[in-house]
Amino acid sequence: GKRRGRRAVVRCQQYPPLRALQASAALRGASDEHKKEPWASSSQQHFDSPPAGHQPEQKPQGPHPSYTGQGGQESEDYESEEQLQHRILTAALEFVPEHGWTAEAIAEGAKTLGLSVAAAGLFHSDGSELILHFVSECNTKLSELLKKEQKLVQLGEAEKKPIDEFLRDAVEARLRMLIPYIEKWPQALSVLLLPRNIPSSLNLLTSMIDDIWHYAGDQSTDFNWYTRRAVLTAIYNTTELVMMQDSSPGFEDTWRFLENRVADAMTMSNTATQVQSTGEAVVQGLMGAAVTIKNLAGLNQRR
Amino acid sequence: MAAAVAPVLRCSVLQRRPLRCGPGLRPVPGAGAALRPCSSRVAQEGINKPVIDRIIRVDHAGEYGANRIYAGQMAVLGRSAVGPVIQQMWNQEKNHLKKFNELMVAYRVRPTVLLPFWNVAGFVLGAGSALLGKKGAMACTVAVEESISEHYNNQIRTLIEEDPEKYKELLQVIKQFRDEEQEHHDIGLEHDAEATPAYSVLKTAIQLGCKAAIFLSERI
Repeated sequence: GKRRGRRAVVRCQQYPPLRALQASAALRGASDEHKKEPWASSSQQHFDSPPAGHQPEQKPQGPHPSYTGQGGQESEDYESEEQLQHRILTAALEFVPEHGWTAEAIAEGAKTLGLSVAAAGLFHSDGSELILHFVSECNTKLSELLKKEQKLVQLGEAEKKPIDEFLRDAVEARLRMLIPYIEKWPQALSVLLLPRNIPSSLNLLTSMIDDIWHYAGDQSTDFNWYTRRAVLTAIYNTTELVMMQDSSPGFEDTWRFLENRVADAMTMSNTATQVQSTGEAVVQGLMGAAVTIKNLAGLNQRR
Repeated sequence: MAAAVAPVLRCSVLQRRPLRCGPGLRPVPGAGAALRPCSSRVAQEGINKPVIDRIIRVDHAGEYGANRIYAGQMAVLGRSAVGPVIQQMWNQEKNHLKKFNELMVAYRVRPTVLLPFWNVAGFVLGAGSALLGKKGAMACTVAVEESISEHYNNQIRTLIEEDPEKYKELLQVIKQFRDEEQEHHDIGLEHDAEATPAYSVLKTAIQLGCKAAIFLSERI
């Protein structure tokens, strides 16, 4: 519908750089876009065969050229709209420290990709998609980091961390990803709290916390599942807020705050376990007392 | 991990389609699945996560509830003549719960929030029905096991419609459990469940409760 029209407009305004066949083929190989050849290749210029099914790890952040065939026609990279938007947003992140989470940053990002600044029109003006994209990228990076660490432990090349240290390191690693954008992050937080964005931002937050617990080795299948995630969410959110107002060198105040909160949580859970076992012991004592009384009163005889 | 980001972005930001698990949506556990001590992992690609989530969550809740029902019945009738029968059925339910605990961890499924409620409600139902006597306890067993068998059959149908090959292990587990629940149902009938006063009323009420429990546990 409307979006497709806009996209077509954007595409037409791409300028076609003339490049040598080899260079373009190499760039194509590095991209993760699927490409199809709708028309028979002209005699002189050919395109690479489409990259085989799977997508390579790296996404090129720089300008991505398109190029023309002999007839001056545009090459159609048949990437999906989501992939295009994804590329634009990734490119836009570079401009966030300067422009904030705004349409300007997105426009600048689109320019580096060789697209028109009108591409910013694909997105909301308050930068919601840009922020959600950033959060989602950070979460993915965190997952990969945790997975890598887990592999090292499995291979015996690293020690398994105790839970409090693991949680502390995971939250710290995730919060450190905010550092380049820390000036503009309070603005981003307020956008994430808009009612329109709350389902998505909540979704991203909960899946991140779930990931951390998963790699920490949580195997609870009872209400503890919820308790643990609630506690870690609280730790994460409060530490994030502290970080916003932290001006100490290297955010050391924040990391100290984090350490204290995690330690509190561990203490709380230890206390809870103690309370529970004390409670059970008390109940057993009472039951024993009741049975004794029944025996003494002769009520316990089977007839 | 370009493939990882695009589906994440698509699912959570731009569109609200039901999540179909694509590659990389969840971090795939280490390739040597059982390397982590005391845990096994199932590859998360290509399975219909929402459907499997629901199935495992509700089955886990069901076995948990059944455990508590038998615990309640044992608390009242444990030392009567029918005690060993109930104990044996209870032991099988404990095995079922253990299996679903493992599956829950393997598929990374969230347990239902209502677990503490089913804890109490199950015990109360078991103890309450047992206070009506041995026949009452058996009637409760018949009602619950009939509900559970029917529910398992529905799930088997769903999984077979989806992809019997992909979900072979899960199907096997559910089929076996359904057969054992059917056994419990028959044992209940053998022990004069139908002779309970107000049997049909009791049975209908309990089965209504089971249906409500299943509905809620799938979603919450």
